[in-house]
Amino acid sequence: MQSRKDLFPGYNVLAKRDTPSWNPKTRSVIDERLAITPRTHRFLDATEFATLLAVAGRIVPQPAGRTDPVPAAAMVDHKLASREHDGYRQAGLPEQGAAWRLGLKALDAEARAAFGAAFGELGAWAQDTLLKACEDGSLRGPAWDDMPSDLFFKKRLIPDLVKAYYAHPTAWNEIGWGGPASPRGYVRMDFDRRDPWEAAEAKPGREDEAYQENLRVGR
Amino acid sequence: MPMLSDRGPRPPERDRGPPGLSGPALKRRVAPVRVEATVHPVVVLAAAAVGAGLLTWFASGRSKRLDPAASGGRRYAPRGSAVTASAAQRLNHASTMLAASVLFDSGLEHYRGQFFNRAMYTPIIVSSVTLAASMHGAGDTDPGGSRVRHGVQALAGLTGLIGFGFHTYNVGKREGGYSFQNLFYSAPIGAPMALTLAGILGVVAERVRDADPDAPELSGLPAGKVLALATAGMLLGTTAEAGLLHFRGAFQNPAMLLPVTLPPLGAVALALAATRAPGASQTEAKAAMWAVSAMGIIGVAFHAYGVARMMGGWGNWRQNLIDGPPLPAPPSFSGVALGGLAALELLERRRSRF
Repeated sequence: MQSRKDLFPGYNVLAKRDTPSWNPKTRSVIDERLAITPRTHRFLDATEFATLLAVAGRIVPQPAGRTDPVPAAAMVDHKLASREHDGYRQAGLPEQGAAWRLGLKALDAEARAAFGAAFGELGAWAQDTLLKACEDGSLRGPAWDDMPSDLFFKKRLIPDLVKAYYAHPTAWNEIGWGGPASPRGYVRMDFDRRDPWEAAEAKPGREDEAYQENLRVGR
Repeated sequence: MPMLSDRGPRPPERDRGPPGLSGPALKRRVAPVRVEATVHPVVVLAAAAVGAGLLTWFASGRSKRLDPAASGGRRYAPRGSAVTASAAQRLNHASTMLAASVLFDSGLEHYRGQFFNRAMYTPIIVSSVTLAASMHGAGDTDPGGSRVRHGVQALAGLTGLIGFGFHTYNVGKREGGYSFQNLFYSAPIGAPMALTLAGILGVVAERVRDADPDAPELSGLPAGKVLALATAGMLLGTTAEAGLLHFRGAFQNPAMLLPVTLPPLGAVALALAATRAPGASQTEAKAAMWAVSAMGIIGVAFHAYGVARMMGGWGNWRQNLIDGPPLPAPPSFSGVALGGLAALELLERRRSRF
């Protein structure tokens, strides 16, 4: 993937961990999240998880050079294993764990039917073709067990993966988000104003200024 | 805990020139080499303010102490023996209090506003200068005024008015114009007037100092009466400001009602005092003024408690000192009340003991 411009040079949201921005509860929640490694899976079996890893690679792709990539697939599995639900559910879909198991198995079955290989072994083009068909609702193999593939894609696969991705500090650094704000919130609320504990965005040609500001975020 | 080392401490990638070049062409800066960033801009501003204040102090000349008060026990803070000099010193106590309140309040609030407009540096420098002139006058027992102090105080009065104009414009240009929302949350419309009050009381101090001790007059009118009515008006103005902001705070603590009830009573006491014959005793009005003065100081403690009640309390001071009740604001009541005491001194035609 083409490397993107670093809009928030030097910004590390974890530098705020021991400042008044975070309280003990926040620290414990984020510590738990950071303990998830890319290959941890407790809920899905090895085949399902391999499919999920491949799907995550297409839905929330990451720069190759990242030393601490977001373990989006493992975070989805963590959510399923912890039995934490959203509090709402599309009526046409089964419960989240059952929906994911069924959907991943079905995607794999569609991959074998169409290309003769497991979903995770396919190339990017083939994977995208299948995912697009899934989004259209045109995957209707018996493995889906009457679950509409487009509903699964739009109401389960996309929300869970994207929310998992943006729940991780690496993604927060990427978009310059301030992370949890309890007890310390924000004071300077106007357009183009910034608290000293907020990420500084690099203006073209003034990256060094933003870099210096971002080093002070954890003070 | 895994760290995000791909966001490690290194400067942003630079254009490294055409590929193929190696060696020195690929030189990458490892650490920032800037040194000047170690001095925070706020430190520079504070140094400028202190410097301007010291210059004013020395420019105001040495207090001559020609005629220190004969009241034996007063070793510190001697008072002039003439009632005008004593009242002028008290007026300078008042302007000191107000200038200090403005210095810290505008410093805090304009720091919050990131000095977005260059003009926001002005009140910090001007109130420092006013503070120095006021403190200089407070220690001066000499009946004659000082031109430097007079000029500085007039400058403060003018600056406050200009600031009032800026703040009024700031409120009006916002979406919704002069709505409660904007009066609450944009530039506080009444705040710069505290500097004007400091300037007025400081100018009056110099005028009173120059006046005839037996029949002090301001622009041909009896000084005591004019000053009593003026400070009564100032008390009502300050009450309006506190009332607006305490209304924003929904008077959630019953103590927040105090600054909208006690000062108006004090203003009434001052107005009544102005109607009495010169030389009459003004015990009740003096008690009221001392009560308002004390309220201003106790208000700081209440505001400190308010900061502690905010989320994160004092541990989160970098947010709560700015977002919570302003610590430097209540003493402006004390400042105006001290001006009222000076007026009462002039009305009684004799120096007060305290």
